[in-house]
Amino acid sequence: MSALQIRNLQHKYALTEVLSNINLDLAAGETLALVGPSGCGKSTLLHIIAGLLTPSEAVIKNDFRGTACMFQEPRLLPWKTAEDNITLGLKALHVPKQACRQQAQNIAKTLGLTADDLNKYPHELSGGMQSRIALGRALIIKPDLLLLDEPFSALDIGLKLELYRLLRQHITERGSSVLMITHDLMEAVRLADRIVMMIPEPGRLIGEFTLQQSHAERSETWIYQTTAKLMANDRIRIGFGLAEGSLNLTEHLHTQHSGCSI
Amino acid sequence: MNRLRNLLPNTLSYLWSGWGALASLLLFCAVWELVGEYYGDLILPGPLEVIGQLKLMFNSGIAGPELIISGRRTLYGLFLALAVGSLLGMLAGFSMTTSMLARPLITLLLGMPPIAWLVLAMLWFGLGDATPVFTVFIACLPIVFAGAMQGTRTLDNHLKAVAQVYRLPWHMRLTDIYLPHLASYLFPAWITALGTSWKVVVMAELLSTSDGVGAALAVSRAQLDTSTTLAWVVAVLGVLLATEYLLLEPIKRHLERWRVGVSQ
Ligand SMILES: Nc1ncnc2c1ncn2[C@@H]1O[C@H](COP(=O)(O)OP(=O)(O)OP(=O)(O)O)[C@@H](O)[C@H]1O
Ligand SMILES: [Mg+2]
Repeated sequence: MSALQIRNLQHKYALTEVLSNINLDLAAGETLALVGPSGCGKSTLLHIIAGLLTPSEAVIKNDFRGTACMFQEPRLLPWKTAEDNITLGLKALHVPKQACRQQAQNIAKTLGLTADDLNKYPHELSGGMQSRIALGRALIIKPDLLLLDEPFSALDIGLKLELYRLLRQHITERGSSVLMITHDLMEAVRLADRIVMMIPEPGRLIGEFTLQQSHAERSETWIYQTTAKLMANDRIRIGFGLAEGSLNLTEHLHTQHSGCSI
Repeated sequence: MNRLRNLLPNTLSYLWSGWGALASLLLFCAVWELVGEYYGDLILPGPLEVIGQLKLMFNSGIAGPELIISGRRTLYGLFLALAVGSLLGMLAGFSMTTSMLARPLITLLLGMPPIAWLVLAMLWFGLGDATPVFTVFIACLPIVFAGAMQGTRTLDNHLKAVAQVYRLPWHMRLTDIYLPHLASYLFPAWITALGTSWKVVVMAELLSTSDGVGAALAVSRAQLDTSTTLAWVVAVLGVLLATEYLLLEPIKRHLERWRVGVSQ
């Protein structure tokens, strides 16, 4: 039983069709990674799910109650300190100030931010710090559905590994569902239960790959090997323009819901 | 804690920046003195004489009450314009249609000479307090309205999306998203309106009332008393400078401390 069901979604910006015939399911507790070349419409799809855009056409059933969204840009409020930015969603839920403070300090520690950083305004923080604060702002409200648009792209490898662990821990503790956009296949293999591939003009989903290995058993070797296998896959190669060829779209309509397993 | 720690150095640096303003004022006085010496006291008395005259006027109890009367009229008109203009400007800015409708009206109102309003006000309200107050109000209204509307229209859509995703209730959208952004448009508009309000009130009083700085100016003009005239001008400018630099500018700095480079 999937908590989010999207059928026949189509979206146009003015007259340009950017998303066409999208069918997507997301089960409770599932982590889905959306990959695809730049400009293919991933962020647009995410904004539609977040309720920020109304699609031109679609049947959407969404049973998630709390949704948090981390945008591709940090989008912090420039007139609020890091701490007040992190607790924005809590304040909207009428959580008392003292509790907000406490939670902000706890989450800041796990995000590798110091107490001093929390008192700074966004323009005084580095790009990576800003994106960690945006991640904190999304995690702190403990949402059922977490929408992440390239959450780790501004971070160094050490921080990435640290935050991967934080995110996985959050998912297991809360049972949240996650839809994350990433350009990094290895990141997708590391974190996701399922990977969906999108291609541009117009944005379509052309294949999905289920990762059956449980998260506890994903060793570094397994991650490297699986990523390499994915990179060799025809759909991925053609989709990212690494190989010539055309995708048989009538075929994908059938394979989509069964999915290719790895 | 941190903010308290920053308060002292910020205040000191603000006061320090006052030296530049002071230097430029003194330079202006020097030029004034030079020109005054060239033309003679009858045409342009120097700054020292004018300030002496002003002191005399204060000591004899003439200047104070008149300034208070004018100040009261300015404040009434100005506050009314600030409140109504900010509110209506924001409401207009929320919708594309109203702001498109409002734009030509603003141009019209801004282009209307205050003296024309004054004549109308004298016809409508007669020779009482209401005439200068109304003239100030109507002269400042479009300035504030335009600032508020511009500010509301230019709020980044990205931040509106954040407010929507995190389900901010309407009062939080106002205090946490709109007002902080609006402040940087409203404050310059308010400061311009403040200057306009004093100019207009003096002009209105000159023609329509028997008390206030404007009326006093009319008397000193009739007596061909240049140094008293200039003393009144200096008094008005002094009030203007004091309200801007001792009241509005510190508030603005406090509200905009998040901006890059404000504290430098
Ligand atoms: N507000 C808009 N108005 C018109 N066209 C838009 C708008 N936003 C996006 N587009 C177009 O829609 C297409 C998809 O954009 P989108 O931001 O969803 O891509 P993306 O897959 O997230 O890319 P990236 O990986 O680079 O972030 C692009 O061709 C873009 O030009
Ligand atoms: Mg994007």
